Amino acid sequence: MGYIAEGVVTALKLLVRGDPETYSAVFTTLRASSISILASLVIGIPLGFLLGYYNFPGKRQIRALVDTLLALPTVVVGLVVYALITRRGPLGGLGLLFTIPGISVAQTILILPIVISLTATAISNLDIRFKRTVMTLGADRRRTAITALYESRYGVLAAAVAAYGRAIGEVGVSMMIGGNIKWHTRTITTAIALETGKGQFAMGIALGLILLLLAFIINWILQIMKRKT
Amino acid sequence: MYTSAVFEIKNLKRQYGQGFLLDIPSLVIERGKSYGFVGPNGSGKSTLLRMLAFIDEPDEGTIRYHGNDSMGERGYVTEDRTIRVSVTMLLQEPYLLKRSVFENVAYGLRTRGMRRGLRERVYESLNMIGLNPETFSHRKWSELSGGESQRVALAARLALKPDVLILDEPTASVDRVSAHLIKEAIKVVRKNYMSTLLIASHDLVWLHEVSDEILRMHEGLIMGSEEDNFITGPWSLEDDGLWSTTLHDGQQIRALKPPSPTSIALLNTVSTIVTTERPDHLSAQNILAGRLMHIYTFENSERVKLDIQVANLSLNATVTRAAVRALGLMPGLDVWVVFKASSLQWQ
Amino acid sequence: MKRFLLTAFVFLFVGFLALCVLAPVTLFAKNPVLRMATTTSTDNTGLLDILAPVFQKDTGIELQWVAVGTGKALALGQNCDVDILMVHAPDAERKFVNDGFGVDRKEFMYNDFIIIGPKSDPARIAGKSVQEALTRIESSSAPFASRGDDSGTNKLEISLWKSSGFSIPDRESWYIQTGQGMIATIIIAEERDAYTLTDRGTYIKYEANKSGNPPLTILVEGDTSLLNQYSVIAINPERCPSAQYELAIQFVDWITSDKTQQLIGDFKLLGKQLFTPNAE
Repeated sequence: MGYIAEGVVTALKLLVRGDPETYSAVFTTLRASSISILASLVIGIPLGFLLGYYNFPGKRQIRALVDTLLALPTVVVGLVVYALITRRGPLGGLGLLFTIPGISVAQTILILPIVISLTATAISNLDIRFKRTVMTLGADRRRTAITALYESRYGVLAAAVAAYGRAIGEVGVSMMIGGNIKWHTRTITTAIALETGKGQFAMGIALGLILLLLAFIINWILQIMKRKT
Repeated sequence: MYTSAVFEIKNLKRQYGQGFLLDIPSLVIERGKSYGFVGPNGSGKSTLLRMLAFIDEPDEGTIRYHGNDSMGERGYVTEDRTIRVSVTMLLQEPYLLKRSVFENVAYGLRTRGMRRGLRERVYESLNMIGLNPETFSHRKWSELSGGESQRVALAARLALKPDVLILDEPTASVDRVSAHLIKEAIKVVRKNYMSTLLIASHDLVWLHEVSDEILRMHEGLIMGSEEDNFITGPWSLEDDGLWSTTLHDGQQIRALKPPSPTSIALLNTVSTIVTTERPDHLSAQNILAGRLMHIYTFENSERVKLDIQVANLSLNATVTRAAVRALGLMPGLDVWVVFKASSLQWQ
Repeated sequence: MKRFLLTAFVFLFVGFLALCVLAPVTLFAKNPVLRMATTTSTDNTGLLDILAPVFQKDTGIELQWVAVGTGKALALGQNCDVDILMVHAPDAERKFVNDGFGVDRKEFMYNDFIIIGPKSDPARIAGKSVQEALTRIESSSAPFASRGDDSGTNKLEISLWKSSGFSIPDRESWYIQTGQGMIATIIIAEERDAYTLTDRGTYIKYEANKSGNPPLTILVEGDTSLLNQYSVIAINPERCPSAQYELAIQFVDWITSDKTQQLIGDFKLLGKQLFTPNAE
């Protein structure tokens, strides 16, 4: 128990003094995750919209598939992505392994199902009355679709926030693809894994506290979004 | 092709499971008139209105709008905005978009590309349903009560200044104050604009005040006009050759031979005579005791409709205002309803 | 208030995105990077943290390394994902070079392995030879923590069991396979009052973490079979066209130079020397 308290104290010191290793990890996490959330939103929101809004043969099966992918284990994603971007793999020429963009690519694959699924849910939760109302006020098919997306904005935002939280907190993919290289691809989570592995609990706790803080902020925003839906 | 008919419906059918939800061989809605629709829940009122609003489509049949066949090439009419923007419908349950009151009312206008005069139009509509634009414009959809929401929804429709305004139970889900304001607003619309109104409502008093004609719906069919009473069987043959059905208090209604023992008889309200004393020595076979429940007046008309409860049956009689005055008729009065056996026509 | 916070958040977010996009652009005009795969135990000693900046000062090359198990390091080399290896598993290394994956293998330093265990030493192995110690552990079923992760340390441990006449006690309940790095395995050994085989470097660090008074002490050392030889191997450019052979060779030359060898010998933790330089 003693070293938890000791850890917390050291943690605060590291944070307040602006310890470069600590802040490098934070910055790397934010960089990698922000790119992946942007990519997953750009790809995922349109796909989620199509999945939720239109009816087509196989819709239920695709929806079930996406929902299954929600539970994709990070190590599986890590393995697959490694196999793709290793020098000997098909995408080896891109030189993505052990880089932040590489982590972002893998994280994007990981959180894309979240964005797609939650967006589709938000869209399909629209009342039948929505369509009738908007149509009777004169909207054509295109306008109705655009308005539908705007009407679901809180649900979609909640999807984005949930995905961001997942990206920030994941370690498997960041470790396998990023390589945990100091100053370059060491994220908060991989740093925690490393430091606790070395027995450096103070550093681990410090980073853990920051991660918790980030998680709280994100979750708080999520709550605000949810209340509006 | 100019025609005074706004809607011409032919052989309109809508499936529901095995049978039909709606089956309307023919119906004409004329421009500038207002029509009331009455009937129990599930009689098809909402579905019919939605089809006339072009937000739902029939399985069979045609709807001609202003003489034009509204069924486009794809068989899906709702894409032609030029049709739809002139017809608008207020849904039964209050529903607003997730934005401010102002934006809700402005939505339809913005969709049409209106920019100048937008604010004035929105404010005008809000005033019509009794909401102060200054205080209400910025309120969010989540901050309104059910009644206020419905009023805003109505304002959004009124702002479009539509040719046809369709209202499905506009006061069913709202509080009394809102209901009153909505009803008053519709009366104003009817008076000041040449809109064609189609209104479904359970509020019969208001409906009579606001409609030129009332259509009764029952199980997907339009049962004549409101001018008819329905009398259901079963009918059995009496000794004297006439057929009769018995009411809950033992009174009997007598008619000529029905097509089948379970047929429904129609009794025109004009053929129905009302007296305050039981008459004797009449050729009419039907003299029934009942109680006068309601008196419905029509604006600018000598016509008055009486709603009389005879045992378990509700019978309407059309009389003149003069008659009401002469007989001193008022709700609660015990009266007699008189009509001939041959007045009953078979459905 | 809500609106302000929301706008603030959006601004911050967009700001970060901008940074993310801009930052890589500045990185393009930087030093050449040499990518190394090494082992977790090597990384944990902190030696590379000392050497890397000196290397960069001397050659202008930035050293970046991933610390994984020996098996994975060799695999990364085979897959051409790194330019150079720094490992300590001579048999596996020789095979690696023979198979044509690596070239210019140079041994450059060693440390030794030790067997550590609880102070109470229930199996009574203190001061014994490796063979004797393992025999006693086996016969008394004393708990023994193994890395079980195909690392250099693990490979050595397995070969010690074999040369002592035992097959790997894979299924024995007293044989704990952690599947993790050296420090994690030592921590688990500490929890379970178990013996374990570790390199001295990691042990010195562990000792330092415990403020000089660790629950597990050195019980067996000095046996010749406990030698832990480190080498660097450049990845064969013929096998891996993307491997930066010229940079790797510079590192090989640099680490075997007198100056660097001196640095390695001077590297101390808790006043104790960790490595002995032995480049020819």
